[in-house]
Amino acid sequence: MSAVVTGSLQAGALQTGTLQAGSLGGLLEALPLSYPDAVVVVGTAVVGFVAGLLGPLAVLRQRSMFGDAMSHGTLAGVAVAFLLTGAKVPELLLLGAAISATLAAFAMIALERTGRLRSDTAIGVVLSVSLTLGIVLLTGISGSGNAQQSGLDEYLLGQTAGMVERDIVVALAGAGVAVAVVLVGFRLLRSATFDPGFTAVAGVRTWIVDAASTGLLALAVVLGVRTVGAILMVALLVAPVVAARQLTTRLAVLLPLSAVIGAACGAAGGLVSGRAELPAGPVIVLLATALAVLSVVLAPRRGVIARARAGRLREERGHVTR
Amino acid sequence: MSPDDVMIIVIAGLLSTSCAVLGGFLVLRGQALLPDAVSHAVLPGIVLIFVLSGERASLWTVVGATAFGVLCVLGSDWLRRSGVVESDAALALVFPALFSLGILGISRFASGAHIDLDSAIYGDLTFAPLRTISLFGADVPRSLVITGVATVAVVALVVGLWRPLQAATFDPAFAELAGLRGRLIGQVLLVAVAGLAVVAFDSVGAILVITFFVVPASTARLLTARLGSMLVVAAGCGWVASVAGHGVAVSLDTSIPGTIGLASGVLFALALVLAPRRGVLARWRART
Repeated sequence: MSAVVTGSLQAGALQTGTLQAGSLGGLLEALPLSYPDAVVVVGTAVVGFVAGLLGPLAVLRQRSMFGDAMSHGTLAGVAVAFLLTGAKVPELLLLGAAISATLAAFAMIALERTGRLRSDTAIGVVLSVSLTLGIVLLTGISGSGNAQQSGLDEYLLGQTAGMVERDIVVALAGAGVAVAVVLVGFRLLRSATFDPGFTAVAGVRTWIVDAASTGLLALAVVLGVRTVGAILMVALLVAPVVAARQLTTRLAVLLPLSAVIGAACGAAGGLVSGRAELPAGPVIVLLATALAVLSVVLAPRRGVIARARAGRLREERGHVTR
Repeated sequence: MSPDDVMIIVIAGLLSTSCAVLGGFLVLRGQALLPDAVSHAVLPGIVLIFVLSGERASLWTVVGATAFGVLCVLGSDWLRRSGVVESDAALALVFPALFSLGILGISRFASGAHIDLDSAIYGDLTFAPLRTISLFGADVPRSLVITGVATVAVVALVVGLWRPLQAATFDPAFAELAGLRGRLIGQVLLVAVAGLAVVAFDSVGAILVITFFVVPASTARLLTARLGSMLVVAAGCGWVASVAGHGVAVSLDTSIPGTIGLASGVLFALALVLAPRRGVLARWRART
């Protein structure tokens, strides 16, 4: 089972490789959409794919709000990168976002380690301070009258307009890294997620796993922040995982399934938001949340309805309910 | 300082006081992220009332917004109790969805109207002194009245329910056995947080509310060991941050709630390093 999934993941990685090699333009033309729409759909699909693939790192380790704080933290990095370079070069802004998201993550871990604060308080403090810093910087920039600055507020709520092929290439490169790391580290990831105690005893340095998963989360958050926005990014990490989680109990199925759900929501949301001239983030998030809730209610075995029905059957047969 | 500046500081200080008092309980109960979720979730309530009645700040707005805040808490609680979603994931699933609904509502029905996106996200504390209502023949800023009433109500609530709140925070099982209605107290606290988040939303916008709730309270947690003194210190931190943040915002011409939040962050960092006994420095010195 897991070999099959690994194989399909590898095929995905290969496909990513060939796309980067230059057939991206061909793919965009092959889609039955106008060129700008095709760019948006492919771009948001890749972003959703990465978020769905890496979301389990946050959700299964009960670190969903940790991811929220990291995505709020990107804002300050975007603003600082803009202030330093004075121009809106997407790659540099993303680099700034990555650095500040990572700093936020380290700050949270350090606050928890000092032992005086609970993890939720540590997350709350880091989330609010990094977000306020970002907002103060952005407000300062927009008041400075710099002609280049318009559009920086897209990073708050996400925007797909203005997405170009180069953005897709960046996202694909990120997706390639994510898929490669997940494939290589799958066993380690599985044991660290479900049995941290065993992993530590087995001689794996837990900080390596922590650092790697924090880095991957930063990658997902940074890729998503322009499309979905810093405030709503957490939903794109969490909702596909919740949807996929109700349909499978195997991590090897959960990861690709959640990635596919994320990609589908991203593509559909990107298309709808472009057509209806709505901000992309909210549309994508609502689609993903709707899928997650549907899955929680309707899933074949774990779903609320399925379990209620199973409970009633047991009662009718006179079995003792546990 | 002009009278308007003083007014802004007083509004921010009152808001900090009430948020810090409730935030202290949330921090101790392990619910520090709740105000973040609630403050995002109230947006669709505010938009809905606006679409229905055309009013942005009526009593109905408070009711509608509070209802959505409570809906967010109950919704994530239902997801958690259904046993298929962890509690943090449940929260992270519900509030972005509600916030998205609010944003879409604004872009669809209310763009260019009285709730624009900027004021929903950043708040408009800066213009608070300009919007006045007449009260006993004098023109008073509306925000001052609302925030003042909310602060008095919160302090009265906490003083009135001091024993049960204290018990339910530190020892829920004891609170239940001693007939202090721990669960009910928890729900009262949630509704109070939701209502206050709506008030705060009007002044500081959706995304800075959590700063006012959590950062001063966490600072006080590092400095004190008793609940009563913790709440007083938290409120004090809020006032210091309001005065300092306002000063910085005026000299740099940037977002006032933002700099107040940053000032709270600086106070927190100072407490983390310098707190007597529990600070990083004190513990490092004790070790050597």
